[in-house]
Amino acid sequence: MRATLRRTLGLAWVLPALVLVGVFVYLPLVQNLQFSTAKWDIYSGGQEFVGLGNYTKLAEDPVFWSSLGNNVLYAAVSIVFQVFGALLLAALIESVRSERWQRALRAIYFIPSAISLTVAGLLFYFLYEPNLGPLNHALRAAGLGELAQAWLGQESTAMSAIIAMSQWQGFGYSTLLFAVAIQRIPGEIYGAAAIDGVGPVGRFFHVTVPLVREMTGLMAIVTLSGAFQVFNEVMVMTAGGPNNSTQVLGTWLYRSGFVRNNFGYAAAIATVLFAITLAVAVAQLWVTRRRRVEW
Amino acid sequence: MRPRALPTFAALLGTLTLAACGGGGAAQAPKADAAATPEFSGTLSILTKFAGDPTGPYFEKLTAAYAKQHPQVKFELIQETDQSVKDKLKTLTASDALPDIYFTWTGNWADNYIRGGRAADLSAVIGPDTAWGKTFSPGSLAAFARDGKYYGIPLYGNGKFMGYSKSAFAKAGVEVPRTFEELVAACGPLRKAGYEPVAFGNKDGWPALHYLQQLFAYNVPDATLQADFDPATAKLDDPGYVTALNQFKTLVDQCTDTREGTNGVLYSSAQEAFAGGKAAMYYQEILEFDNATSDKVKPDDFGIFQLPVPRNAPGDGAVLEGSPEGYLVNARSPRVALAVDFMKFVTSQENARTLSAPPYGQPSTVVGAVTPETSSKAVYEGVQLVNKAPKLAIWLDTVTVPEVADAWLAGGEALISGGTTAEKVLESVRQASESAK
Repeated sequence: MRATLRRTLGLAWVLPALVLVGVFVYLPLVQNLQFSTAKWDIYSGGQEFVGLGNYTKLAEDPVFWSSLGNNVLYAAVSIVFQVFGALLLAALIESVRSERWQRALRAIYFIPSAISLTVAGLLFYFLYEPNLGPLNHALRAAGLGELAQAWLGQESTAMSAIIAMSQWQGFGYSTLLFAVAIQRIPGEIYGAAAIDGVGPVGRFFHVTVPLVREMTGLMAIVTLSGAFQVFNEVMVMTAGGPNNSTQVLGTWLYRSGFVRNNFGYAAAIATVLFAITLAVAVAQLWVTRRRRVEW
Repeated sequence: MRPRALPTFAALLGTLTLAACGGGGAAQAPKADAAATPEFSGTLSILTKFAGDPTGPYFEKLTAAYAKQHPQVKFELIQETDQSVKDKLKTLTASDALPDIYFTWTGNWADNYIRGGRAADLSAVIGPDTAWGKTFSPGSLAAFARDGKYYGIPLYGNGKFMGYSKSAFAKAGVEVPRTFEELVAACGPLRKAGYEPVAFGNKDGWPALHYLQQLFAYNVPDATLQADFDPATAKLDDPGYVTALNQFKTLVDQCTDTREGTNGVLYSSAQEAFAGGKAAMYYQEILEFDNATSDKVKPDDFGIFQLPVPRNAPGDGAVLEGSPEGYLVNARSPRVALAVDFMKFVTSQENARTLSAPPYGQPSTVVGAVTPETSSKAVYEGVQLVNKAPKLAIWLDTVTVPEVADAWLAGGEALISGGTTAEKVLESVRQASESAK
């Protein structure tokens, strides 16, 4: 009886939170699904059911596919830099003997992550500016003037320029997390490996990499998920241009709804984006549950 | 990488949801009596696109002055920029939370609000035969009319001109060009004289549309052009489009220093290059004239001319790009009469003159407000040219449906960066128009 009462009371306590989550998290998801099957005129408020029409249109939309491609490119580069690159850098920092230098290096790498994405985007916008930007000035000063160009103004370079900025901004955060994971590895393991004659490279591959695999898996998933949700930096730096060459799913969703007035179509993009991030989130839960390393 | 875009994405999703919650068809505008005697109480909400300097204080001062006359009236003033007002308006529309008075462009932009029953019919108070209506230039009133009804309150007129530095032209030994070909030919000597011939920043995409719309008016017969703005009648097969696109590309390649990199330059950077005396020309709106001058380009050194007509252009060479911009009153507002009274106050002769004078420099549509005494020389000259033009070509991004405008925008960017041809741009616009039917 007391247990039942306790359970009921417990439910009563979480009920407000459940209602809030239901209204503000799950209801929008369901409604978004409903919008994705409609042609919605925001001016008249009218909605016309079009079934899977928006999804069919999506499948035939070259900008949707190029946006998805940009997200995939973003994810691939991020995995290389923010997972493998960050792990390598963290290992190097942690191999520095001086504690003071370690702290200083961690801070140096982490500082870009403390800057908001919008500010970082604006900063890089001016860095890349073709006439006044320091990047082109530096290239000219170094005698490499032929490389100077409108980094964000050309279809061939704009996406790479945005991705580069994003790596700069996120690299330190990943490095710090890997550094924390490396610090959790007992020093005796490294000591034993050293006694066995394993060099620094061997210790990295045979001790560090296996023992931070939980963090590696987690970072890979988080990086992947973030790469599909990218929005702010693209919006600030190019808004998807020129000629839609830097559109990603988030910005194409925004443009379809808020610029082209196709809110039903935007909802269909949102559903696809949701499906991708949901898949990544499920993988994340699976990885964090199964990859626990004990010592 | 962190899942940092999640809040943004959630906000977008939330907006859509809120819109559904707010829901409710608004196709039929409720009958609002704009001519009723207002009740001077309550809060009047206004959405402007006057945020920032120098225009920011204009509505702030007017609302304060009006509240002084009517102490029971409070104001909620939402001020946005030219770029951000677009998103704000759509978000508020989708969530059925439009303010009592809100900014609008003409063309398809205003039509959407009228068609959706969101704009109050103000014919009884602002029609051309009414006392208030007679204070405006007829053309500016007509720009917001639909099916014989008058919905908009035009606040200022606008037109697009090539602003130039007279001293730069003198130094380069060039005259004001009379044809488009002469304009392009002048770019060489101007560059030799140490100037970027035409400063141009197309980071936002729409500045290219301004060139294109004026060139379309010159190269495509007007009837064809008007039919092509509406996807239901559009064919978009006139050869004038390709000619105009190629002329635009020629101008970018030969007259700007940034050439194929122009998409990476901010509109404001180009504006500063001109005001800073580095560029000889800059294509700009009347609204920008009072900001175009500086220590380097003094008001007497600043001249304007309409983008010259290309030789043998089959369109109408007298058409000038521009249109009035104004305000709509929310048809669902319980304070329509009060909103009308406030806008009468805003467009009074005295306030219209203030708006037209520096530092605001927004040429009022109120007859007699723009005079050589109240406005700067360039603004006055620009308004005279706008009034003289037999027809105005409305901005390409507001005159047609957004999907088509967006295709023109992407096409303009692609043309600049050299990623496509004029023919391919036209084909992509044709497809967008087809899909928007």
